[in-house]
Amino acid sequence: MSQFLNLFAAGLTSGAIYGIFGACLAVWFRVCNVLNLAVGDFAMFGAIGTAWLVQSAGLPFIAGIVVDLAGVGLAAWLFDWAVLHPAFDRGRGAHGIVGVFFYTFGLSLVLEGVARAWFGGDVWGAPDIWSGSALSVLDFHVQRAGILVIGLAVVSGLALWAYLRFTVSGRAASACGESTLGSRIVGIDSAKFRRRIFIGTAVLAAVFGIVESPLSGYTYLSGPTLSLIGTVAAGFASFRRPGRAVAIGLVIGVVESLLGGYVSSSYNDVLLYAILFGVIIFRPEVLGLSAEPA
Amino acid sequence: MTEPAAADRSTISAPVPGSPGSAPAVHRVRRRDPAPLGAGIFTAAVAALVLAAMNGSYLGLTVTTGVGYAIVTVGMVLQLGYSRQLAFSQSVFMGVGAYGTAVLETKYGFSAIESLLAVIGLALVVSLLIGAVVTRAPGLALALATLLLPLFIYQLATFSGWLGSFSGISGVLPFWMGEDYTATLVQSGVFSAVLLGIATAIVLRVMRSGVGLQLMAMAADERLGESLGVSLRQRRLEVFVLGSVLAAVGGAVLASVQGIVTPNLLSETTEITLLLMVFVAGRKSIAGAILGAVVIEYLTTSTSFISTNIGTIEGIALLIILLVEPDGVAGAIDRLLGRRTDQWAASLRTWGAAQLKTGRLGTRGGGNGAGNA
Repeated sequence: MSQFLNLFAAGLTSGAIYGIFGACLAVWFRVCNVLNLAVGDFAMFGAIGTAWLVQSAGLPFIAGIVVDLAGVGLAAWLFDWAVLHPAFDRGRGAHGIVGVFFYTFGLSLVLEGVARAWFGGDVWGAPDIWSGSALSVLDFHVQRAGILVIGLAVVSGLALWAYLRFTVSGRAASACGESTLGSRIVGIDSAKFRRRIFIGTAVLAAVFGIVESPLSGYTYLSGPTLSLIGTVAAGFASFRRPGRAVAIGLVIGVVESLLGGYVSSSYNDVLLYAILFGVIIFRPEVLGLSAEPA
Repeated sequence: MTEPAAADRSTISAPVPGSPGSAPAVHRVRRRDPAPLGAGIFTAAVAALVLAAMNGSYLGLTVTTGVGYAIVTVGMVLQLGYSRQLAFSQSVFMGVGAYGTAVLETKYGFSAIESLLAVIGLALVVSLLIGAVVTRAPGLALALATLLLPLFIYQLATFSGWLGSFSGISGVLPFWMGEDYTATLVQSGVFSAVLLGIATAIVLRVMRSGVGLQLMAMAADERLGESLGVSLRQRRLEVFVLGSVLAAVGGAVLASVQGIVTPNLLSETTEITLLLMVFVAGRKSIAGAILGAVVIEYLTTSTSFISTNIGTIEGIALLIILLVEPDGVAGAIDRLLGRRTDQWAASLRTWGAAQLKTGRLGTRGGGNGAGNA
């Protein structure tokens, strides 16, 4: 029983990671129908940037967090101003399915390249926010950072869900995704929502990176895998439901952990990806998409 | 060798609305089209000459590796650029080709050519099986499913002792063994160039055929294609299989050139590199895809500055391309050349009209000739 509980707790922690990135992806996709494949790179910058500012530049921890988050927000704003604004507000460049994937894919490459040049290939981890040994109840152990990660994921998922469901601003943001032209006709500034939510989710991902990095450590290459798993979690939430993305992420994490504990510690990811692959192919309706008749 | 403007090549007699006796639209595709074969021979000859001129140098090794990638990107032009099939499984099939070659040669004693033929057959069967399943999925689901493929195949390869785990399989044979290393590299490079020529000819033939027109209609609007009688599932599957088999051939070339196969070939990083090779150079241009593969492979190994900052450079290049010219460098050149040739044609027409006028004036001794038309 204790093994199950420990695996469950570990799964919830890794699932929270998938879930929060899924939520960030889903909320932005809902607003502008574009996948943010750079969300994992923003988390990487949050983690490595803070660690670098504290350990190498000598800033106090809180100041390091503030400077790092400001930098991430500025980078997101710059990308919106230089790329997304001309592409989506002025109608320049590639659109359609290419636009859905490749603008943020380009940003992801740039962020990785900058991180590699700046921080090198070392593994970095921000200092613990809640330091101390793992919390234990009988044979059940959970890391303090893990509790923060799960808590942050649940709170963020609920907050994003509530924002979209219960606020006028959230409904206006959703309207932008339904029809940009329609939303503009009724006076909603779709560019403003796209920019604000892009910057907001970038900063949220960076906060998450800071909280989570003491557990796993980050390198400049950590971003794409996080973005990819986040994309899968968002996909299972129809790319539009951030609360559901967090829940799906938690389920994915728990299944992965249980497979690792009870089936194979080497092939747990292989099995997990195979299951997700099967669901996408045979039940695409869970992604909000329908399969063609066989 | 850019995206065929099918309407230019084909004979289209579109009815003029309201005009008497207007015939239904007829779209004829030339059955004996010499262009694909010519393009294939040209590509193979140029690549072989370049590799022969490099005479087994390090640059020659880099270009031969680029040729291996180019075989994959030529298939991606048909898949991603022309048919807009958003499948990200090319690195997986490169792995099928590379690991298939390595296993057959090192564990079962196959020769290089036998293993190449065997992996083509293997890739055909595997891509048919996978394609029959994944091509059922609509756009974003297909992209998501094929995004997952490299993830779990990579993990499978890294944990499999039979596939050499993290260190992979070494001792893969070159396609054509020469007297020494230099001769082997040149001869194998020439063989790879021939494979690239064949890939170019096949893809161009498909693009310029009736099937190519159907693919173009599907890419523009699937409902339109379906209403024209195009079997969407069949065409999607065919494109997936052809792209995957070419990826496997490219993987076999890479394994043969490098003599070793590691799981890195299957990783998402390889898929990202392939996408950049296609998108930056021009996703609808075969020539662009070939040059893109060779140039990006060269850049990643040329200087330490470029190889260190290749991610940043590729990312910025991709963003600029997407914003300024979504059809890539090849599209920009095409447009530029098109404008230039339009200007030349306009000048020629003006000059011709002036000459004609002068001639008429000379022979008829006056008048504007308007009534002589």
